[in-house]
Amino acid sequence: MNRMTTIPGIRSGFHPIHIVFIIILLSGLVAFPFVSGNRFYISLITEMMIYGLLAMSLDVLLGYTGLLSFMHNAYLGISAYVVGLFLIHVSPASFWLACLAGIAFTCVVALPVGWVQVRTGGLAFALLTLAFGMMFHTIVWKWYDVTGGDDGLMGMPNPDINLFGITIGNSGDPLVIYMFTLVIVTLCFFITRRIINSPFGAVLEAIRENESRAAFIGINVRKYKLLGWMLACLLAGIAGALFILYKGYIGPSTMSAFAGAGVLMMVLLGGMGSLWGPLAGAVFFIYIQDYISTMTEHWEIYLGLVVIFLVLFLPTGFAGLTDHIRRLRKE
Amino acid sequence: MRGLLCTQNLCCQFGGVMATNDVCFSVDHNGLTSIIGPNGAGKTTFINIVTGKIGASSGKVLFKEKDITNTPTHELVKQGICRTFQINSLFENLSVFENLRIARQAKVGGSFRIFSLKQKLKPVIKDTWAMLERLGLEKMADLPAKNLAYGDQRVLEVAIAMAGDPKILFLDEPTAGMSPSETHQIAELIRDLANDISVVLVEHDMDMVMRISDRITVLQDGCIISEGTPQEIRNDQEVKEAYLGKAA
Repeated sequence: MNRMTTIPGIRSGFHPIHIVFIIILLSGLVAFPFVSGNRFYISLITEMMIYGLLAMSLDVLLGYTGLLSFMHNAYLGISAYVVGLFLIHVSPASFWLACLAGIAFTCVVALPVGWVQVRTGGLAFALLTLAFGMMFHTIVWKWYDVTGGDDGLMGMPNPDINLFGITIGNSGDPLVIYMFTLVIVTLCFFITRRIINSPFGAVLEAIRENESRAAFIGINVRKYKLLGWMLACLLAGIAGALFILYKGYIGPSTMSAFAGAGVLMMVLLGGMGSLWGPLAGAVFFIYIQDYISTMTEHWEIYLGLVVIFLVLFLPTGFAGLTDHIRRLRKE
Repeated sequence: MRGLLCTQNLCCQFGGVMATNDVCFSVDHNGLTSIIGPNGAGKTTFINIVTGKIGASSGKVLFKEKDITNTPTHELVKQGICRTFQINSLFENLSVFENLRIARQAKVGGSFRIFSLKQKLKPVIKDTWAMLERLGLEKMADLPAKNLAYGDQRVLEVAIAMAGDPKILFLDEPTAGMSPSETHQIAELIRDLANDISVVLVEHDMDMVMRISDRITVLQDGCIISEGTPQEIRNDQEVKEAYLGKAA
């Protein structure tokens, strides 16, 4: 009677091959700075991981709840600005408190915005995310006295990172931030994956599949859409805190609609609804962006061409590609 | 007459059209009540109002003598008012199993657990397997719902609503587009359900309606024009006129 207590097609935990892959990947990432020591690549990989987290948070919304946000980067930006402002004006040495303030403030902003947005769905929801995102962008851009306007937020002090009374290192050190980001993004990935596979995650998927039927099986659709939104914004807030610690600086362009479209592309390139896909999409996107921008200052044009090519020939993203290979091997 | 659910002078206006006009309708705790009427009579609109999909312009809906007019859908489902749709409304990319499991989870609870795994909700999973076996869908458990044959999708459509343990179940043309043998199978299922709960059936297949209904309500232009047992309805002059036009 074992069959009667299992869910068909659902494995609990990871496939052995995936575990091996994850261990190799993580040990490679941990070893990389000691093997290579190339500052440029250390900082590039840090950026990939941070945008990977942001893309993953957008996937919670787009791939699992079925809600499109054009400017999810706005919530990364809000968190980054608040962390920076906190370190500049409130307490230059309080690392954890600053991160907490940034993430908490992001959630405080996201709650009323989400409350309004979940009253709609589909295109209207997407347009509202664009409208709110552009508002936040303009506020940050024009509020010179607080945010530094076009110049961005500068002069942020680098606090030490303390854990249980032990100083791990200074947040101004790229190697420390690299390791810190690796730990946080890895944790966020596994926690988010767990949430997606929980009964709560199943509710989000039901809403993605069929919002009106979800209401007719007794799901309070607005409430769960709001919770999905808040989860996505919380993760974006974490990415924002990492972002400013890594860069030591943030400008309004990070919160622009153009940058928002980039995050959306990362999710689509990677394949939505897989969590790891958007992470891979972010790695690819940041790499290509960096690679092309060393050759031409009009890198957006070439990046656009690459994206067009991939969307036409790989519409389900990298995640779709692995599914395809798996199916071919079965046959 | 006050049974499980009744409506009092229920109206719904779309612009100048009264889609539901002063409808007083009631059903008991069990049994099968069919709602019939020509196309555009307001049958689906009536179900939409009672199940909270659209708002009533005036009038009341009472469930267990409590006013539930314009209550949100998900709360009505929690109270035991469930429905199916005329056009399949499934979770298409989820497996057949997950379609029923999520419906069962929504009923039993546990949706707030964010750190436990969904396979840990054992009672939900046991109930889901039991339902699949009862409906003969267990072999298709891990197929995406969209890959099912149309007839099986129709059965799943009803099953999703049944997973909510309804006290009253509204079925909007459950046999639409089904073959005669599939129709027969679903008719048996409906008749079986009606022994325990109240089933309200909107249906065009007159043979089936006449065969399995306990009571029939006839709607035309948003108004109830007749009510009674299948025998009474069969002999009702006004009903004949509604369907066939007035005799010259």
